Amino acid sequence: MSTATRDTTAPPRSRAEAPRRRQPLRLRLAPYVFISPFYLLFLIFLLVPILVGLYLSFTEWAGLGTPEMVGLANYRRLFGDDQFYLSLRNTLFFVLVAMVVVVPLALMVAQALNTRGLRGRDLFRVVYFTPIVLSPIVIVLVFQLFFDKNFGLLNAVLQAVLGSGGIDWLGDPWWARVSVAILIVWRWTGYLVIFFLAGLQGVPRELHEAAEIDGAGPVKRFLYVTLPALKPVTAFIVVTSLVGTAQIFDEPYLLTGGGPNFATLTVGIFIYRAAFQRQELGYAAAAGVVLFVVVFVIGQVANRLLGVGRNAE
Amino acid sequence: MTNHELSRRTVLRAAGLVGGGLMAAPLLSACGGSGKDGTGGTKSGPVTLDFWTHDPGYVKTFTAMSKTYTDPFQYTLKFTNLAADAVVTKMLAQAQAKTGTPDIVGVEVSQFPRTMKNNIAKSIFVNWTELLSDTEKKDLLRLTDYSVDGQTYGLESDTCPTVLYYRQDLFEKLGIDPNVATWEELRQAGAKSGKAFGIAGNGTPGDAMGTFQQLYQQRGKNIFDADGNAQIDTPEAVEVLQFMLDSVKSGFFLTVPDPYGAPNAAALKSEKLIATFMPSWYLAYGLVANVPDQKGKWRARKLPKFAAGGSFGATLGGTGFAVFKDKPGTTAGVDLVRKTYLTKEGQLLRFKTAGYLPTMKSLYTDPDFTSFQAEYLGGQKVFEVYQGVADAAPPYYQNANVSVLRDVVGGQIQQVLAGKATPADALKKAASDFQKQSQ
Repeated sequence: MSTATRDTTAPPRSRAEAPRRRQPLRLRLAPYVFISPFYLLFLIFLLVPILVGLYLSFTEWAGLGTPEMVGLANYRRLFGDDQFYLSLRNTLFFVLVAMVVVVPLALMVAQALNTRGLRGRDLFRVVYFTPIVLSPIVIVLVFQLFFDKNFGLLNAVLQAVLGSGGIDWLGDPWWARVSVAILIVWRWTGYLVIFFLAGLQGVPRELHEAAEIDGAGPVKRFLYVTLPALKPVTAFIVVTSLVGTAQIFDEPYLLTGGGPNFATLTVGIFIYRAAFQRQELGYAAAAGVVLFVVVFVIGQVANRLLGVGRNAE
Repeated sequence: MTNHELSRRTVLRAAGLVGGGLMAAPLLSACGGSGKDGTGGTKSGPVTLDFWTHDPGYVKTFTAMSKTYTDPFQYTLKFTNLAADAVVTKMLAQAQAKTGTPDIVGVEVSQFPRTMKNNIAKSIFVNWTELLSDTEKKDLLRLTDYSVDGQTYGLESDTCPTVLYYRQDLFEKLGIDPNVATWEELRQAGAKSGKAFGIAGNGTPGDAMGTFQQLYQQRGKNIFDADGNAQIDTPEAVEVLQFMLDSVKSGFFLTVPDPYGAPNAAALKSEKLIATFMPSWYLAYGLVANVPDQKGKWRARKLPKFAAGGSFGATLGGTGFAVFKDKPGTTAGVDLVRKTYLTKEGQLLRFKTAGYLPTMKSLYTDPDFTSFQAEYLGGQKVFEVYQGVADAAPPYYQNANVSVLRDVVGGQIQQVLAGKATPADALKKAASDFQKQSQ
């Protein structure tokens, strides 16, 4: 007589082997309905405009009526347009300012704010963050007066300290670029400080203590402990700053309008000017597509080099 | 009145609108095309009109008009206030979508060229040339500013004559005769005063161009001729630019990044700037707004002429009122604009309500206007100054590429003022760049 016993050690039948019991359609669709808002919004507000922009870049269109197909004419014109190259050069200058000045400065300020025992840390954080929540119009009104050749605070200070303060900050092409760069530094450094500070607060203190026991001084601890630990945050900041600055518009447009003599004309202003001042929407779209490609490629390269989104080793 | 007063919100809004427009373009293109000219729609009775403008002064003006005139229409106006550039951007996006367009729209003069390409103005606006009588056409100032191919699509709302505002008290103290005949004499008289007698905008190409354009008109030229050809590389233009350069070098003109911004206000307040050549609207927007405490100390006079010839005539700025055609409110819109700009009563009401100067020549000698005394200018009868100024200025012919011209000429003016180019070379380069860039 045998007793049939149930083999409890046998693995359960996989789902595929299990007889399929079809769930009601309503239940099967539910997950897709839940994730659909993102895809719908992505489609309507991102993908469609990008594709329409791409389509428009092959047309001539003044904003009303039927766009007329012109093939690659807009791109040919764009690559023969001195002002487009000038705008690319100016944009590159501001990107370099962001990478070489703003990001390191933000890290230094964050490091200072992360000092143990610092009083009023929250107050400093608010002060550094304030420029980003202020209206650009208000900022520019103040900075115009700040930079004014005849009545500006900056020249008055230079005059008092150095005995010479006749710099035409907004009227001279080189100094206008510098003025916009100063505004970028002032406006964005504090914003990045917040990210770095969050990153710094996540660095285990034990690592610093261990390095200190091994004889590492403050500089070595910063270089060999803090910086490697901050790599994911730094990578994120570098990539987003790079992509954001490549599309810079507010600061140069409001402070100098792209002048003097196009010294602060950026690709963003170039596109705006073509679309909303010259009513050449096809040409503007072509410039937009080129900017998109450049930013996308640079962003991807930076992503790969810095390992954004990869797990820390 | 300036077209670079742009807020972040405006930019975002414009971007959003064009995004919508871009999305709609291929879908709606099949429905495109212009309808027949016409002023159809409601012929009398209650009517609601969508009214778009960048200037709150027009809200006051047209509200007063709609309340005063109730026959044959009883108007309800729905106002939309936008920045000057956003008015046109939104209007075109709505026109492309064939819904939500305004009935009446105020198009700022520097924005009007955006409606010149692809026959946009012709396809959406009522043609005033067909509606105006010959007498009205002769009496109206500045019809060309809103014209395409000789057809006028907007009625100018303010003639914007440029005059010289000056500090009478300081002129007297410095022993400067305010009635000198020429710019050169004024420059000589003020040479050792340490004061400035005008400004040269050098912040944006548009600001630089504004200064240049007013002086250039005095030499009898404007930036485009009647055939739409750019008139930039001319002996008169070189003379004017040389005059600007010499004036900046000598301190007679003060360079400011924004002629309407904080540095200019500081120059007025500190009494460094004791005279300035500006359009009529500057009295309210520049002087009264920035230096109310100097009330009674300022006076106005016609511009000094250039020794080499020309006139005192110059204008800057303006807004043309256009009516959308083939809408239910078209006839009513035409009626309201007509009453506002083509009748003495309308012109008087708008002058009293918001200070806009008459756009009909005949009213500059009408006692109802000429008796007006400007309190800020020490009770001066300003119509004696404004009279004939707009008439003496050469007509302003629009061109679809005026924005390109403004950019290239403005950029070169900035080069000259910075001492990096001579006027003759700069204007040659500007003319050549314009040819290359205009489409």
